[in-house]
This record gives sequence, structure tokens and C-alpha cells, in this order.
Amino acid sequence: MSAVSPPYRLQRRLSEWGARLDRLGLQTLFYGQTLRSTGDAVLRYRTELLRLIAEMGFGAGALAMIGGTVVIVGFLTVSVGALVAVIGFNQLSQIGIEALTGFSSAYFNVRLIAPLIAGIALAATIGAGATAQLGAMRINEEIDALEVMGVRAVSFLASTRLVAGIIVVIPLYSVSLISAFLAAKIGTTVYYGQSVGVYDHYFNTFLNPNSVIWSFLLAITMAIVIMLVHTYYGFNASGGPAGVGEAVGRAVRASLVASTVMTMFVSLAIYGQSGNFHFSG
Amino acid sequence: MNVTTLAKPLRGVGGFFAMSVDTLMLLPRKPFAWREFVRQTWFVARVSLLPTLLLAMPFSVLLVFTFNILLTEFGAADFSGSGAAYGTVTQIGPTVTVLVVAGAGATAMCADLGARTIREEIDAMRVMGIDPLQALVVPRVLAATFVAVMLSSVVILVGLIGTFAFAVFIQHVTPGAFVAGITLLTGVGDVAVGLIKAALFGMCAGLIACYKGLFVAGGPAAVGHAVNETVVYTFMTLFAINIVASAVAIEVLY
Repeated sequence: MSAVSPPYRLQRRLSEWGARLDRLGLQTLFYGQTLRSTGDAVLRYRTELLRLIAEMGFGAGALAMIGGTVVIVGFLTVSVGALVAVIGFNQLSQIGIEALTGFSSAYFNVRLIAPLIAGIALAATIGAGATAQLGAMRINEEIDALEVMGVRAVSFLASTRLVAGIIVVIPLYSVSLISAFLAAKIGTTVYYGQSVGVYDHYFNTFLNPNSVIWSFLLAITMAIVIMLVHTYYGFNASGGPAGVGEAVGRAVRASLVASTVMTMFVSLAIYGQSGNFHFSG
Repeated sequence: MNVTTLAKPLRGVGGFFAMSVDTLMLLPRKPFAWREFVRQTWFVARVSLLPTLLLAMPFSVLLVFTFNILLTEFGAADFSGSGAAYGTVTQIGPTVTVLVVAGAGATAMCADLGARTIREEIDAMRVMGIDPLQALVVPRVLAATFVAVMLSSVVILVGLIGTFAFAVFIQHVTPGAFVAGITLLTGVGDVAVGLIKAALFGMCAGLIACYKGLFVAGGPAAVGHAVNETVVYTFMTLFAINIVASAVAIEVLY
């Protein structure tokens, strides 16, 4: 490598940057195409869509054995919900207002923790699974075979997964929100021994239905971003068995960053400067 | 559900445990694969650094944004530094680090080892009398641990700078009050616990990635699924460890 003379090195560097720019353009093109053919997917490939919804809900392969996507997402949100109880109760009791733990569950779970954790869980389960499947199909030249047979590969493989992801995320996010609430409640009342009435009072007072609906919007935005990124990386995997694995890794990395940045901007847009929150009612 | 379907996940857990014990036993044994360790450390750091910075920013900004809405309502916006520091040091630092180490480093490790397993390179190593655990797994696990600790300090710094900028320039908190509040709730103990957590996460991520990579069976699809399972299991262990470690830390520190 070091034997390459300087002009060649410059040339190589430039063509590397060019290739990177190209990839960005191609990626955007792919996203546009996927979004454009969602209607096509819903109309023409309905059986595939239903199959994907079932598969995403239950998980594929060894992941189905431990209970599938629902259990994984539920487990992650249960653990953070319990964390709210642990940190909230202990920190608040330092200044003698541990009664407000119910409030912190209703506030932080809805606005911050549940959407972020659900996004992470979605990327790891549904997203990474889609990349692994599509990547293996690409390596085995099954995608080329589909195109030869006259099936629209992008709408049959990518758009259907996008639509299925959006549909699956709604029940999944309900499960994750409920499990975060329950874990915080059980942690506070059973483990730390706060009375259920106190907890419920503050929880119900500060649980804002509008915020809950907005947090569903956050979850759906994340699902869209995650499915787009993961299908792209799977669809364009190359380089044999290792290539599929690398594509999964790169997709997880990209979709985590993209979906978190997205969440930040969407929640800044939703809650704004005032925060849409009034302590005094 | 017959016995074999029930036994399969159990066998997986047992195999993972056996490999972890073997790896830990091999840690002090010579010869230590220094070259591989340095190469893996550099590799994990290289693929993780940029995503870490990109992920730490929105996480901490979201935290301080949500927290400040509350504090402004109480008229206590000057304490936003305390909340930001506590959240960043104890939770966001270790969590973001391992999300990235798992998502970027561990997946690549698993893909690499999985491909070698499929091409029967690992068996070839065994035939040549080289222990793959010592030559490949030990340096990788140590590299993941080391990089996780180092990166978590970066995340904490970036998180604090990000929250400071957001709170001061956008939400108009007094800069002096923000800085003064940083050490109000967060002490040396919390920082130490955060770093210990990051080390534990990194080690688990490395072990899971190596286990999943070494025991792949099948073609390209199997490697893809192994990487997928690596991500899922690492995230699950991360959150399980985090809740236990946080509860223990709170009992010890307060």
C-alpha cells in the first residue's frame, strides 16, 4: 500500500469520496423507491405482507424460541421501567418527595424512555432480522431471480417490510409502554413498599393522554426510519457470508443513530419551548 | 413442545457459560495474543467512535430537554446541571457506549468469526494446535472491554458538553448554575460505577459475539441470523446488568 505514489493516492482518495457520495445518492433513491411503491405492495403483495406481519410479531429462527419480538421488546422495557422505580424512588426520597415516583413514571416513561428503548429493541429484532434475511437472499442471488421472474423486487421485499413494520409497531409499542408502566409500579409499590394509592394518584394525575398519543407517533416514525435503513443494507449486501453479517452490523449502527436523531427532532417539534406540561393543572 | 426444542436454548446457555469460563481461565495464560489485541482494539474503536458521538448527542439533549421542561415548571431551572450530570454519568454513558460497541463492534466480530467458522478456518486452527479461544476470543473480549471503558468516558464528556450547550444557549439556563450543579448529585462513586458498568457490558458483548460467531452452522443466512441474535442477546444482557448494577450501586453509595 505504502508503495503507491502520491498522485495515485490522491486519485484513490478522490474516487473513494466520489463513491461515498454515490452511495448516499443511491440510498436516497432506494428510500424514495421504497416509499413510492408502498401502495403497490399493499395492493399486489397482500399475502406476503400478512406473512411478514406474522413473522415480525413472533420473530424468526432461534429468536422465536425465547418468545419472539414481543417478549424481547417487553423484556427491555420492563427493565428500564424498573430502573425508573429504582432511580426515581431513591433520588426523590433524598429530598423527601418519593411520593412523586408515580409522576416520574408517567412523565419520563411516556416522553423519553419508552420511545427510545422501543426504537432500540425494534432495530435489534425486526430491523436486524430483515437485513439478515434480505442479505442472505442477495448473496444467494434470490433477489436477481425475483427480478428475472418479473416480480418488482423493491416493492415485494422492501416496501412490504416497511408496511409490515409500521403495522407491527403499534401493538408492540403498546406492549412496551404497558410493561414499562407496570414494572415501574410494581418496583415502587412491591419492592420499595410505597402504598398503591399514593402511586396511582400521582401516576393518573400526570399521565397526559395527548403525550401518550404523541409518543405513538414517535414510535411509528422510528419504525419507518429503522425499516428503511435496514432493508437498504440488506438489499445491497455483498461479499459472501461475512458480508451479510457486516451488513447487519452496519445497518444496526446506522439505524440507531438515524432513529435517535429523528426522535430528538420530532420530540423537540412536538413539545416545543413551553414543553406542553403544567404542574399546577 | 418436545424435549429437544426445550433443550436447545438450555444447551445454548450452557455452551455460552462453558466458553466464558474457559475464556476467563485462559486470560492469565501465556502466550497472550498482543498483536491481535491491539488490532482488535483499534478496529472496535475505529468503527465505534463516530456512531458513539452521533448517538451521545441526541440522547443527552433529549434527556436535558425533558428534564428542563419539568424544572422550568418548578422554577428550578438552575438545577438542570445536576439532572444532566446524573443521567449522563450513570445511565447514558454506559448505555450508549454498549449500544454502539454491541451494534458496531460485536456484530463485526461475530460476522468475522462466523465466516471463518463456515470456511472451516477455526477447525484448521485446532488441527494446527492453536487454541482459537486463546488466539481469537481472549483478545477480542479484552478489546471490547477496554474500548467500552474508554468510549464511555468520551460519551460522558460529549454528553455533558451537549447538555451544557443545549441548556445554556437554547433553554437559557445560567451557565454558572449549570456547572455548579454538575457535582451536586454526582460524585466519584457514580463515575466509578459508570465505568465498571461499561467494562461489564463490553465484556459481555465480546463474549456473546465470540460465542455466536464460533458456533455458527449453515450458510450466509446462518451468519446473518447469528449477528442478529448477537445484537438481541447483547441488548438484553445490557439492560439486565444495568438494572442490577444500578440497584446495587444505589445501595452501596447512598
